[in-house]
Amino acid sequence: MTLQITNISKTYPNGVHALKNVTLTVPNGMYGLLGPNGAGKSTLMRILATLQEPDEGTVHLIGSKSALDLQHVNVIDVVKEKDLVRKTLGYLPQEFGVYPKSKAEDLLDYFAILKGFSQRKSRKQVVEALLRKTNLWDVRKQKLGGYSGGMRQRFGVAVALLGNPRLLIVDEPTAGLDPAERVRFLNLLSELGENSVVILSTHIVEDVSELCARMAIINKGEILHEAEPLKAIEGLKGKIWRKMIQKSELHKLEHEYNIISTKLLSGRTVIHVYSEESLGDFEPVQPNLEDVYFTAMAGQYQQHVQQ
Amino acid sequence: MKFLEIFRFEIAYQLRRSWPWLSFIVMIVFAFFSTRIAIVPVTLPQDFILNSPFIITAVSVFSCQIWLLLSPVIAGDAAARDLQTLMHPLMYTSPVTKSYYLGGRFLAAFALHALILIGVQIGSLLAVYGPGANPEIIGPFRPMAYITAYCFIALTNAIIATTFQFSIALFTGRPMASYFGSLILFFLSYPVTFALYFGGFGNRALLADPIGVMAIMNEMMSKWTIVEKNVRMFTLEGAMLWNRLLWLGIALGSIALMYLRFRMAHRISNGLWSRLMRKLPRREISTADIELSAQTQVYLPSIHQSSSFRLHLQQIIATALSSFKTIAASPGGLFLLIAFPMLLTFVVLVEMQHWGISLLPRTPHLLMRHLTGLLTAPNNYWIMVPLFTIYFSGDLIWRERDVRMSECVDATPVPGWVLFLGKFIGLALVLATLMTITGVVGLIVQVIKDYHDFQIVRYVQVLLGLQLTDYLLFAALAFIVQVVVNQKYVAHLVALTLYMLIIFSSFLGIEHDLLVYASGPKWLFTDMRGLESIVPWLWLRLYWAAWALLLSIVARLLWIRGKEVRFNTRIRIAVQNFNRPVKVATGISIVLIIGLGSYIFYNTNVLNEYITDEEHVERRAQYERLYGRYQGITQPERSATDLKIDIDPIRKVATINGTYRLVNKSNFPIDSIHVEPAFYVTTSIRFDRPLKLLIGDEKLGHYIYRLNKPLQPGDSLILSFDVKFEPQGFNSSRGFRNTGAGIGIFDNGTYFTGGALPVIGYQPLRELSDAEGRRKHGLPRQVTLPAPGDIDPGVASSSPATFKAIISTTSDQVAVAPGELRRTWNESGRSYFQYVSDVPINGQYIFFSAKYKVHQERWNNIDLQLFIHPTHAEHLERLLRSVRASLDYYSSQFGTYPYRFLQIIEQPGNFIGMGVDGSGVITGGEGFFLLDPKGEGFDAMFEIVAHEMGHQWWGVQLKPAFAEGGGVISEGLAWYSAMQLVKNEKSREALRRFMSFMREPNPWPPIRTGLPLLRAMDPWANYRKAPYAMHAISEYVGEARINNALNKLIKKKKFSLATTIDLYNELQAVTPDSLKNLLHDLFEVNAFWTFNTKQAKAEQKDKDNWQVTFDIEAHKVVADSAGVETEVPVDQWVEVGVFAPAKPGEILGKPLYVQKHFIHSGEQSITVTVPQKPARGGIDPYNLLDWEEGDNIEKILVEDIK
Repeated sequence: MTLQITNISKTYPNGVHALKNVTLTVPNGMYGLLGPNGAGKSTLMRILATLQEPDEGTVHLIGSKSALDLQHVNVIDVVKEKDLVRKTLGYLPQEFGVYPKSKAEDLLDYFAILKGFSQRKSRKQVVEALLRKTNLWDVRKQKLGGYSGGMRQRFGVAVALLGNPRLLIVDEPTAGLDPAERVRFLNLLSELGENSVVILSTHIVEDVSELCARMAIINKGEILHEAEPLKAIEGLKGKIWRKMIQKSELHKLEHEYNIISTKLLSGRTVIHVYSEESLGDFEPVQPNLEDVYFTAMAGQYQQHVQQ
Repeated sequence: MKFLEIFRFEIAYQLRRSWPWLSFIVMIVFAFFSTRIAIVPVTLPQDFILNSPFIITAVSVFSCQIWLLLSPVIAGDAAARDLQTLMHPLMYTSPVTKSYYLGGRFLAAFALHALILIGVQIGSLLAVYGPGANPEIIGPFRPMAYITAYCFIALTNAIIATTFQFSIALFTGRPMASYFGSLILFFLSYPVTFALYFGGFGNRALLADPIGVMAIMNEMMSKWTIVEKNVRMFTLEGAMLWNRLLWLGIALGSIALMYLRFRMAHRISNGLWSRLMRKLPRREISTADIELSAQTQVYLPSIHQSSSFRLHLQQIIATALSSFKTIAASPGGLFLLIAFPMLLTFVVLVEMQHWGISLLPRTPHLLMRHLTGLLTAPNNYWIMVPLFTIYFSGDLIWRERDVRMSECVDATPVPGWVLFLGKFIGLALVLATLMTITGVVGLIVQVIKDYHDFQIVRYVQVLLGLQLTDYLLFAALAFIVQVVVNQKYVAHLVALTLYMLIIFSSFLGIEHDLLVYASGPKWLFTDMRGLESIVPWLWLRLYWAAWALLLSIVARLLWIRGKEVRFNTRIRIAVQNFNRPVKVATGISIVLIIGLGSYIFYNTNVLNEYITDEEHVERRAQYERLYGRYQGITQPERSATDLKIDIDPIRKVATINGTYRLVNKSNFPIDSIHVEPAFYVTTSIRFDRPLKLLIGDEKLGHYIYRLNKPLQPGDSLILSFDVKFEPQGFNSSRGFRNTGAGIGIFDNGTYFTGGALPVIGYQPLRELSDAEGRRKHGLPRQVTLPAPGDIDPGVASSSPATFKAIISTTSDQVAVAPGELRRTWNESGRSYFQYVSDVPINGQYIFFSAKYKVHQERWNNIDLQLFIHPTHAEHLERLLRSVRASLDYYSSQFGTYPYRFLQIIEQPGNFIGMGVDGSGVITGGEGFFLLDPKGEGFDAMFEIVAHEMGHQWWGVQLKPAFAEGGGVISEGLAWYSAMQLVKNEKSREALRRFMSFMREPNPWPPIRTGLPLLRAMDPWANYRKAPYAMHAISEYVGEARINNALNKLIKKKKFSLATTIDLYNELQAVTPDSLKNLLHDLFEVNAFWTFNTKQAKAEQKDKDNWQVTFDIEAHKVVADSAGVETEVPVDQWVEVGVFAPAKPGEILGKPLYVQKHFIHSGEQSITVTVPQKPARGGIDPYNLLDWEEGDNIEKILVEDIK
C-alpha cells in the first residue's frame, strides 16, 4: 500500500495559496505531517479524504488487489474515483460535531450502515468492539450532547476506524485528549498502521516522534522536509548549538547567528542555533525531532536543496 | 455607551450579510405587485383607487404576513448567534450587563425589522408613482395613509414578532427556532383566527390574531363602504385597537419573562427530558472500569461485502428513520404532529355547525372542508404544511453540516443519492404520519359527534393517496431547492418564493397546469358523486412526479460532498458524475415528461379548447365590439320549449333534441334571427322555413340568420336544435373553462343546465364586466348599476315559456327536468320521464340524473316533488313542512302560486345552502343536507326553505330590474316573507330566534353607511336591513295592508321589471300620513335607532296590579355614505312591552303589555301597569327599529308588597 501524491496545488477563492506543488510518497504505516497552524495540513488532508478538489495534481492509492479489498483494481485515483476510495477510507476531521440528541451506540451503528456494514450481526460486533476500544462502552447509552471534548474525539476515532480502513486520515487527533487518552489513541493508531496507510497531521512534535516511521514538515503550503524522523535527527548531529542568554541580547544575536528556536528555561532564555561549524561560547546539543522541525521551519533544508 | 456599541455592532454585522437586503427587496417587490395587480385576495370594488388608504393598509397587512416568514433569521441570529457559534463564553465573561447585552441585541433586531418593513411602503409608492401605473385610478397623495399603515401595522407587528422570535431563539439557543416562533404567529393570525371567527366566536375571535390580518381586514373589508374604502384613513379603534393592545401586552410580558430567566452563564441541557432523567439514579463509571476495558484486546470485524442494492436499501432506511426521528422530536415536528392535530380537532368540532345548527360529520365534508387543503390554492390552515415542509427540508439537508458532522459522513462510502433519498423518505414519513393522524382526527370528530359511517377506505384514499402525493411533490421541490441553492436561509426564501409563484401563477399569466408545478385539477369528494376528477388528477401528478425525478437528478449531481461549494467546481464534479446510470435515469425522466406532457396537452388543448383568462377577456371584448350593436334589437320571443334528452352516465354523453317556438311579439316584422349556442357542446340548428346564414361566428358564438320572408307581428316559427354534450378527455384546471361549476356527466350525480341550449339574441351578460379589463380593451365604462329612477317603468321582462321534456337515463337512476311529472316508463333498459309545465315558466332550466330517493305528493293540485340522495332522506319531513306552510301562507297573502309543480332537488356538491333556479325549482347543495335534522333550537331548514319559497314570488314572479335596490325586491322581500311565515306559522318567539340568527355578523356584518334602501347595493342592506324595515313597517301599518300592497305590486308588474320605486309607491299608498315619516326614515335615508332599557323595576300595588317603571334612553342617527352620522330627534311612537316568565329555552314569556309610547331623544322614564307578575320588559322588545340586540329588554326587579 502506497499513497502517491503528485504535484498537488490548491488556491482558495480568497487568494490563499494553501498548497504549492506538493509531492509526497506515503508508504504503509504511520506517516506524520508536521506543520504550524495554517500550513495547509488540513487542506491536504481533506483532499486525501475526498472532500476537496485539488486545482492541479494527482493522488493515487496503490496496493495489491487484496489489500484494497477490491476485485478489479490495484490503483485508485483518489481525486476521480472518490466512491472507490471511500470504501476503504477512514477520516477523522480536525473539527467535527455529532448529533447532540443521539446516543453514541445509535450514531455509531448508523455510521456503520453508511460505511457498508449491512449485516446486523457483524454491525453489532464492530460497534461494540470499537466502543470498547475507544473506552466509550460504558457511556454508549448517553446522549452525545453530554460528552466531554475527549469523549467526542474518541467517538470520532471510532467512526474513523469503522471497517478497518486501508487509508486512514487523522487530522490533529490528539488536540483535545488528555495525556492518558492520547497514549491510548496513539497505540490504537499504531496497531492499525501495520497494514494500512495512516496519515497523521499534527503540530505536536511528540506525536510524530513517538509513532511515525516517516514524516513530512509542511509550511505555507510547501513541503519543507520529508524524512524518517530517526535519520533526520541523525542528520542534525553536531549542527545544533545552545546558549543561555539574557532576553535583551536576543535581538543582537539574531543578526549574528542562525537561531532556529528560543525557549524559556527557569526564567532565562535558551536559544538553539543551527551551524555546521562549531561556535565558540555555545555548547553542542544532542538534537531531537523538535530541532528537526525548527530547523526545517527556519528554512535550512530548503537552502540545502538550493545549494 | 456599551449599549450603543452593542446595538451598532449588531446592526452593522447583520447589514453585511445578504439576508436583510434580500428581505428588504422581497418586501418592495411583494408590496409593488400586491398593489399593482391587487393580488391581495380581496374583492375589490369596481371603482377603487390604487393609493386609497384601504389598499395601502391591506397591502401592509398582507406584506406583514410574508415578512413574518422572512424575519426570523434576523431576530434569531441576534438572539442566539453567540450560543450557536460557541462565542458565548467570550461574550458572557466580558463586563457587559445583561440589560445592555439583551437590550442592544433586541433593539438592533427590531430596528432592522422596522427598516425592512419600510420596503412595503416603498413598494406601494412605486406601484402608484412608478412607470406603468394607470393614472385613472390614482387618487391624491396622502402621506398620512402610508404613515399610519406603517406605524399601526408594520411597527406593532415588528415589536410583536421580534419579541417572539427573539425569545424562542434565546430560550432554545438555536437561531432557527425563531422560525418556529414565526410559524406559530402565522398559524394564529390566519388559520386559527379565521376558524374561530367563522366558528361563531365573532369579534372576540379577532383578538386571537397577532398580526392583525383578520382583525383589520374584517373591520375594513366588510364594514366600510366603497366610498369609505377610497377616502377613510385607517386608525386603531374598536376590535383593532384591543387586538393591538393585547398582543403588545403579551409581547412585552414574554420579553420580560425571557429577560428574567436569562442568565449569562454556561448552558447545560435544560430540556424537559433531561430534567426528568436527572431524577433517575445513574450508574457511576469508575476509572478502574475504563482502565480495565482499555486493556481488553478486541477483534474488529471487517465489512462483509453484500449486494449493493441491499446495502443501499438499508442505508436509505437508516437515514430515513434517523431523519424522521429528528424531525418528529423537534419543536416544529411536535407542533405539527401533536399540537396541530389537537388544535385541528378543536377547530373542526367548533366549525361543525352552520347557522348555529350542528352539522352531521359526514366523511366527504370533513375531508373536503377540514382535513385537506389544496396545495396550489391554500385557503385554510393547511398552508402550514408546505411552510413546515420548507423549514424541515432545510433542517434535514443541513443536518450534518449544522452540527459539523458532515465531513465524517461525507468520507463514508455511502452514495449521495442514498443520503438524498433517505432524508426525503424521512420527511415523507413525517408527512405520512401527519396524514394518518389527520385521519384519526376525523374519526375522533365523528365519534364525538356520535356518527358511525366512518368510510375508512375513503380516508386512506384521500389523505394517504391524494393529499400526501401533493405534499410529497412539494417536499421534493423544497429539497431540490435546498440542495441546489446550498444556502439554508436563501433556499428557504427561494422555496417560499417558488411557492408564492405557484399560488399566484395565474396573476402572472401562467395558467396552464403543465406550467405550474404540482398543479392540476382539484379532486372532489361528495356523497353523490364519490371521488371525482381522479383521472386527470393522476395524469398531472405523474407528469409532475417525472419533473421531480428530473430535478432530483440535477440536485443529486449538484449535491455537495466535502468542502467544495464553488459553483464552478460543483458543475465540474456534476459533469464527472454524469455517468451511465444517471444518464439513463435522466433519459427516462425526460421521456416521461414529454410523454405524459403530450398526453395531457392532447387532452387539455386538442380534445378541449384551451382558453387563457386573458384570451377569454379578449373574446368577450371582441364579442361586444362586433355584436354589441344588436343589443335590444327586436327578436322573436320563446313561447314554448320542447326537449328530448338522453343521458348516458356510463359513456358520459348527453344528447338534447329540442325545439323552440319563437313568436314575434313586437309590432314590426323581424327579418333576421340571432342565435347563440353554448360553447361547451356541439349544436346544430334548423328552422322550419327557408333562411340564410349571414354570420356564423363559432369562436364568439354568435350566429345571424336572415329570413327569406320576414316574420310578421304575431307570427311564430319553430327552431329545432340537436345538442350533444360530450365532455372529451379532461381540461386544464386553470385557464378559463366554459362549463359552469359542478356541471358534468357522472356515474351518479349528473347535472347540467339550460346553459347548454342555444339562446336567442345578443346576451349583455356575456360582456366584459370588470372595469379595468374594459378600460384596457377600450370599451366604454359601464355604470355599475343604474339608479332605480333611471329605469323605464315599462321595460318588459323576458317572457316565460311553456316547457315539455322527455328525459331518459339508465334504469337505476332518476332523471329530473323542470315541470310536473306526467309519466314515467321503461324502454329497452332505460328509464324515461316526462315533465311538463303548461303554465309558462321563467328562469334557468336544470337537469339531473342520479339514484335519487323520490318523494311525490299533491298539494292543492300542485305536483310536489323532492329528489334527495338516499342516505340524506332524513331531512324530508322538515323540508316538506316548510314547503307546505309557505305555499299556504304566501298564496293567501301575495297571490296564488301560479305553477303546477314544485321541485326540491339535491344538487351534487358540498355547497351548504339553497338556491332558486327558476319557476318551481329549488335546489339545495349536498352541504345543506348536513344540517342535523334532529337539531333543536333555530330551525334553519324551515326558514331557509321559506326564504327560497318566497323567491317563487319575489324574483320569479316579480322580477327586479337590473338597478340599484334590485336586491331589496328579490332578497329583501323573500326574507321578509320568511319572517312573516315564521311569525304566523310558529310564534313570535321563533321569529325572535330567527332575527337573532339574522343578526350574526357572518356572512353579512352590518354596514351602517351604505346607500339607503331605495338604492341599496350591499348585501347587508338586501338580506338584512330590507327585511327588518319591511317587518317594522308591517308592524306599524299592519301586516294585512302591507301584504296586500305587495300582492298588488306583483299583479301590476306581471309583464315588466320592478324597481324599489314601484315597491315604495305601493307602500306609500297604504301607509297613513302619521307613519310616512317612518317609511321615509326606513327607505329614503339611513336612519338608525338605538334604544336602551337601563333599569326596569316593578312594584306590586295590589293582587292583580303590578306597576312597572322603565328608565330608558333613546337615540336616532342618520348616516351618510361617507360614514358621517348626524344625531336627529327620535320623537315617534315606539313599542314598550312587559312579559310574563318564559318557558325553558325561550327568552320572552307571554306578553302582558305591548303598547306604543311616544318616545323622545335621551333619557326618560315610562310607567305601565300589568295584571300579573312581570319577568322581563323594555322598549322595542321585538327589535322593530333597533336592530342591535342586547339592551332593549331587561329583567324586571320586582319589589314585593311592604
